[in-house]
Amino acid sequence: MAILVGKDTKVLVQAMTGKSGSLQTKAMLEAGTRIVAGVTPGKGGQELYGIPVYDYVAEAKAEHEFDTVISFVPPKAAKDSCFEAIDAGIQVLILTTEEIALHDVVEIIAYAKAHDTVLVGPGCAGVIAPGICKAGAHPVRFFMPGRVGVVSKSGALSYEIGKTLTDAGIGQSCVTAIGGGPLWGFTQKDAVALYEEDPDTDVIVLLGEIGGGSEENAAAYIRSHVTKPVVSLIVGRHAPQGKSLGHAGAIVSGNVGTAETKIAALRDAGVHVVKDPAELVETVRRFL
Amino acid sequence: MNLFEYEGKQLMREYGIPVPESRLITSPDEPAPLPFPFVLKAQVMTGGRGKAGGVKVCRNEEEYRRYAGEILRMEIKGHRVHGLLAEQMVKAEKEFYLSITLQGVSEPTLIASRMGGMDIETVSKEHPEEIVKLPIDPFTGLKDYQLSYLAKKLRAEDKKDLFSLVRQVEKAFFHAGALLVEINPLGTVKGKLVAMDSKFVIDDHASHMEGKMAQLEEARKRLYRYEAPEKEATTITYVPLDGDLGLISDGAGTGMLTLDLLNDAGGRVASFCELGGMTTEEVMYRAMELTLSGHPEVKGVLIVLIGGFNRMDNMALGITRYVKEHKVDIPIYTRMCGTMEEVGLATMEEAGMPTYRVLMDTVKELVRRTKEVQ
Repeated sequence: MAILVGKDTKVLVQAMTGKSGSLQTKAMLEAGTRIVAGVTPGKGGQELYGIPVYDYVAEAKAEHEFDTVISFVPPKAAKDSCFEAIDAGIQVLILTTEEIALHDVVEIIAYAKAHDTVLVGPGCAGVIAPGICKAGAHPVRFFMPGRVGVVSKSGALSYEIGKTLTDAGIGQSCVTAIGGGPLWGFTQKDAVALYEEDPDTDVIVLLGEIGGGSEENAAAYIRSHVTKPVVSLIVGRHAPQGKSLGHAGAIVSGNVGTAETKIAALRDAGVHVVKDPAELVETVRRFL
Repeated sequence: MNLFEYEGKQLMREYGIPVPESRLITSPDEPAPLPFPFVLKAQVMTGGRGKAGGVKVCRNEEEYRRYAGEILRMEIKGHRVHGLLAEQMVKAEKEFYLSITLQGVSEPTLIASRMGGMDIETVSKEHPEEIVKLPIDPFTGLKDYQLSYLAKKLRAEDKKDLFSLVRQVEKAFFHAGALLVEINPLGTVKGKLVAMDSKFVIDDHASHMEGKMAQLEEARKRLYRYEAPEKEATTITYVPLDGDLGLISDGAGTGMLTLDLLNDAGGRVASFCELGGMTTEEVMYRAMELTLSGHPEVKGVLIVLIGGFNRMDNMALGITRYVKEHKVDIPIYTRMCGTMEEVGLATMEEAGMPTYRVLMDTVKELVRRTKEVQ
């Protein structure tokens, strides 16, 4: 098992025939993901890697069963296509698209919430359960099956830590990258809650970064609800004030969103906060 | 896009939010635009202009000439003053604070207080009971009970006036795709609410506002030769810092991690450069250019690549082409892994450029090497 995805997960890809959609679809298929259909308006009737493409999600739904959608739709079309996916009654929507207008993001999050769809993203790399399913952009070679559950805002940081763990012989139950913010559907807190319940996860790794208050929210939840060991690395300790470092959400203004407050909140909640990947590996190993 | 006060107020007028009568002035030679007395307010992209002397009351022609000249030449906290807003003097009987924001919150949020005219951060620290925060559902907007509660907390006398003003601000916020609409102070003049200041931030990704934003930029150029800071045409985020090591990464999270590791190892970083998204050889080349061109202080560069979307063969071509064309002779250390790494690593080796597999090793080696050279 893992979180968000599992061996029975059936995936539909939105914007499957686009540049990143087709590249990622190929990689997901190679990783063993069960992709049942794709959607690209205007490309209905075609096939890609043997998978049928439809114009509309509802048309795909009439022919196939799926519970998860991963979307590579461009920013301006993202809102409507998310509504379309959610209206099909799916459980999980992974939205990889970056640079969506924030008011559109607000509506997507509210709509998903109202319809009990778990929205991961926007601007996220998605999720990989090594050896089981990949609904995301994670390069398979950096990961191996195991019992550590990882959640990260940044995609690249989740690859980096996945690789570091794998190089040290430590496998992962699941690695989830939720996006750089500043708004999220699925949060670090939500991931921690699912890992706590997941029988195949023994240790939780929480990768955070400066900006916002989502690490603090996760810390508050961990303090009262989590019994499994949590190891955390917060990046951006040396970031300058008032400048966003590549992620719109990664910005420190005044004393809000600093690494210090996050580290203090996590330590206070009993989380093992480490300063670099080497210490992270050592600490995780102690709990396995 | 951050709007100047006069731009924000113009937009507020369009949405039916009452603002005092005002005129924009761009030269002290213009005749007095309003009957005396009036206030001159520096139009500048930073706060604290009052304390810096950027707001003055003019009672006659002589004061107007003197202050207009003075303020137009001012620089406030490193920001040039772009024009003056001459505004009718209004005396507020009461001052409130009102904003609707998407900054630092997880959903659209109305924030209001009876204690207007002060810095809202200070109010929230010293008088948290005086702050009202109401989440706004994007599909229903503010509900009537929320407005009633707001009126109670603000002890509003004219509820109808308050409701209609808040509705207009809400409309402006959602319609303009704003990240922030802030009125501080929101005054009452003869019992009616008036927006006495304006802070308006429009989301650069709000595509329906592209035309409006282009129009505003055009007007800025025409009015006072305002040139917006040049926008990077690629997906790159480049942030100058004050050390001597360049840092390039293909992910924000790994970039920040490497920034921390370099600092912990005793290095000081000159610039943070993140490639962003799906990248090409040209984007990598441009990152090298941003990091090195015109930056003699940079004594070494660390490139951290972990390809998911990103192809290492392209990255290697961008790096080696820049180094060859510009005869770069400072240490450039690259940690390269991921999609097409075999081809990328071969290209780097052919060009005689060192590559590493492990991030920590790369960091330590570069810091050691650049310290040795000095």
